[in-house]
Formats: sequence, structure tokens, C-alpha cells
Amino acid sequence: MMLKLHVVVFALAAFAGSGAVVAQMAHDHHEHKGRETCLDLSLACASTAAPAFGPDGALWIAARVSNQIFVAKSRDHGQSFTPSVVVTQPSVNLDTGADAGPKIVVDREGRAIVAYAILRDKKYNGQVFFTRSIDSGKTFSPPSPVTSDLESQRFAALAIDSDGAIFSAWLDKRNRAQANDGGEAYVGAGVAFAWSRDNGSHFAETRLAHEGTCECCRIGIGFASPGHPVVLFRNIFEGSVRDHAVMTFADRDAPGPIFRVSNDDWATNACPHQGPSLAVTSDGAYHAAWFTAGRARKGLFYARSLDGGKSFSAPTPIGDPDHAPSRPSLLEAGGKLWLAWKEFDGDRTSVLIMASHDNGENWSAPKAIATTTEDSDHPILVSDGPHSFLSWQTLKDGYRLIELEDAS
Amino acid sequence: MRRIYCAALLIAIAAVPANARAGELKSFVRGSWRSIIANHSGEPIIVHFWGLTCGPCRQEMPEWGKLLAETPDLCLVTVNADMIEDAPEAVQDFLAESGLSRAENWTFDDSFAERLRYEVDPKWQGEIPVTLLIGRDGATRRIEGVAPMAEIRSWFEDAGRTGKADP
Repeated sequence: MMLKLHVVVFALAAFAGSGAVVAQMAHDHHEHKGRETCLDLSLACASTAAPAFGPDGALWIAARVSNQIFVAKSRDHGQSFTPSVVVTQPSVNLDTGADAGPKIVVDREGRAIVAYAILRDKKYNGQVFFTRSIDSGKTFSPPSPVTSDLESQRFAALAIDSDGAIFSAWLDKRNRAQANDGGEAYVGAGVAFAWSRDNGSHFAETRLAHEGTCECCRIGIGFASPGHPVVLFRNIFEGSVRDHAVMTFADRDAPGPIFRVSNDDWATNACPHQGPSLAVTSDGAYHAAWFTAGRARKGLFYARSLDGGKSFSAPTPIGDPDHAPSRPSLLEAGGKLWLAWKEFDGDRTSVLIMASHDNGENWSAPKAIATTTEDSDHPILVSDGPHSFLSWQTLKDGYRLIELEDAS
Repeated sequence: MRRIYCAALLIAIAAVPANARAGELKSFVRGSWRSIIANHSGEPIIVHFWGLTCGPCRQEMPEWGKLLAETPDLCLVTVNADMIEDAPEAVQDFLAESGLSRAENWTFDDSFAERLRYEVDPKWQGEIPVTLLIGRDGATRRIEGVAPMAEIRSWFEDAGRTGKADP
């Protein structure tokens, strides 16, 4: 057996701390149509939960319940959590899009930075905020906008460079007003980015890395090498073709050219609502997984680049095409490359996973390692260094952290 | 009879001012798709899936409103299949602003949207807008993205007014 289910932990324990007692348990939702009736600030009611491990091995979770995001920590791999600390301001309208969950990173000093977006008006224009904790998660700073521009921002991603600088990239419509004033049609969005060089206290000037991207999908980010971010996104190519592109920065403030990941030929004027996943392995290879409904191919696919993104291998189909494979997550850890995704058969959602020992050239057979029969978040792979885990928030079965173990 | 139901609904709501909030907004839950298909069996219908946070959808919706105004006997079903948890009032307001109060309007009302989409089409992963042109015989044409209105009108002329099956 390639993979072995090693640890399945449900967030069940309650803590009595100085704050409110929070029970992280699965609720009975049989009479509910969804999450709207479950509003406890705990993972039991969360619709999405983003994980990150800190340098001390603690698991941090940034999760959303209705219009609030809270952070909690676990020192026992998700079996129990500290009391939830709300990081959002009251009375905000959070961006609850499928790809719009909060993001969290923890630096090597144990400082946590959280990014999320609100929908700030009736036209659903977004605004990205960030907040940080410098006291091990006990408190968070008042949320600050990542940029002063007010047009629209969504789908912020966060990554920490080797020297501790924090890179954030998001989709941004700052050029829309100018285009409209000039009588030009503005389609899609752009990829904007900013750096924090003070450990998340604030982000410096925002710049546009690329204009003309799809506006509805999350982006993938990583580092080719120190100071050289890589961004994977759904671009809009000529003919309204929404295929994926990758960009490597020449340096921290110099976006590079874009290269096409795959010629799927998805010519559509629609919102796919499903962004890609990117992993850059320690040898510098780029690994991409994405969904398309193009004329050339339809479904979930994987490809890799060994030349810094200039060219990619032929797309490899992932999962059972009759079960809507979706929401990929790639991770390199412990010398292995992992790929997880969701499938749905009409009754049951499964998270499947496969591993590669040769940097994406060959993969193990797909294996389902978790299932649920109600609503669930995207599967997210996360590592504490030596160990890799599936982090998966589900409505019926609560939060699940499952260690991935390679038995081959 | 089914055609009369759809037409009667249009007439009943026709008196609502164009900028007023749309009347009934039905909850699209498990089984709703089967119900829509059954209720309109033998009748050519257009089902349009859209979302409030979908830019192309927002631009397109007034075009559907114009088509409905020009084509009183068109049986148009809209389904808000947005990826965010839209407030029903916001959906109703936008439908009204788009001139779609007279359509048969539904909104996803289950956080497990994958299951709702699966009932419509197991391969549908949530991209919107999507339009289904369903003929009297159930033959279905799927249009992904903003729909070309000339094609929609042509289909309705053939499959709608003349009673022909989906061409």
C-alpha cells in the first residue's frame, strides 16, 4: 500500500483558558440546509480552515464562521485547540467565494500573518486585509488593508521568503476605473503584489505584475529561489481563452515574462471559480495542477516544468473524470511530492492523494484517504518539516488532520 | 398546461415596476432540479445559471431582461448558483434591476453546492454563467459563458414558438 492512514484526528476537545471555552466538535447538521444555522466560533461550524505549522511544531488554523475569521492553535496535531481568537473587525461582509478562504503563514520566529478579503459594496468589489500576531496567537493587530487602492482585490496568497520577507499576491482591478474613463472595456483583473520587510507589520508599495487575468480564481505562489517568487494563475489569452500561465520574478520587484502552462483552449467568458495549485520543489522544478473545461481537454490535470516555467510536460489527467475531480493541492516535503484533490460521486465527497518519489515523473495510484457526505472545504496539504498532512474542514465530520505516510 | 403556468406567472408579475424587488425567489435545494424539469415537461424552457459575484454574469443579465421583455411567451428560469452565500434580498434586487422579475427565479440554498450542481450535471464544477436550452423533447443544448442572444432567439423561434424539437 502506497499510503497509509496514520493519524485521523478530529477536533473534539474543549479548553478552559482565560477566554471563552470553545468546543471544537462536529455538530449534528441533519436538519440544516448548510452552515447558516451553525455559528459557534469553532471549527465545528467553520466553512473553511487554512493550516500552517509554526517553528515549534504547533498547528495554526485560520478559519471562517459566517462573517468572522478566527485563529486557533493545536499542539497535538489537531486533537485539541486553544480558544478561538477573532481577527476580523465586526460587521464586515467577508468574501466567502469557494476560492476565497483566509490564508495564514507563520514565520520562523512564530509570528503569524493572516490575509483575507471582504466584499465592501453591493457590486461585490473586494478588499484584502491582513493582520498579525507577535504574541503566539494570543492577540492580533487591527486588520489593515494590504494596499491603499480601493478598486477591488480578491484571492490574496501569502508566502515567506528565506530571509523572512513576506510576499503577498492577489487579483486586483486597480486599472478598471482608468480603462472605463477612457472608454475601454476592462476584462478580468491583474496580478498585484507587495512585500512586507518588517515581519508583517505592514506591506510596502503595491505593484502590478501582470494585467489581463481571470478574475474569479485563486492563484498559486512559491519561490524559485530566494528573492524570486513564482506565481501561477488563470490568464486570459487572446480569444478570451482562460488557460494557465506562470511568471517568475527576476527579482523581488521585477515581474518576469509569463509562460503558458498548457494549451487547454478554454475559450469562455465565464467565471470558472477554480484556481490552480503550485509547488516549487527544492531542485527548482515547477509543479502545477489545475482544472479546465477547454476544447483541448477537460478535467483536472498535472504538469511540471524543469526549465523555470518556460515549458511544461504534457498535461496528465488526474482523478476519475466522472466524479468531478477538483481543488488540487500540491506539496513537497520529506523528499516526496504529494498531490491531493476532491471527487464527488453524487453522495460522497472523497479526498484522494498520490505521491511521487521522482519529482513528478511517476506517481503512485490514487488513494482515497478521507470521505464525507456533507459540505466540505478544499483539501489542503501542509507540512511541519518531516511530516506531511492533509488538512480538511468538513461540515459533518469536523476538522480532520491526516498524516500522509508512504509505505512503499 | 405547463406553458400556461409559466406564461401565467409572467402576466401576474408583469405589473411590478421594473426597478422593484422581484417577487418570489425559490430555494434551490436537493430535488429542485428534478422539480423544475418535471414542472416544465413538454415545454421548451431556458434555464440560466448565474451569480452575483460573477462579472460576466452581471454584465449579461440585463440582456436576458431585454429578451424577456421582447418575448413575453419565453419561459425563462434563472438559478443563482453563485459561489458565495448571497443574501436573497441582494439576488432579488439584482434580478429586478435587470428586468427579470417576471422570470421564474431560483437561488441555491444549500452550502453543499457540489451536490446541487451534480443533480444538474455531474460534470459541472461551478463555472458560470451557463445556459441550458431545453426543447419540448428534453433535448438540451448547453451554452457556457455569456450567451449569444442571436443564438438564443433563433433557438426559441425553432424550438419555442413552432414546437419543434431542439434543432
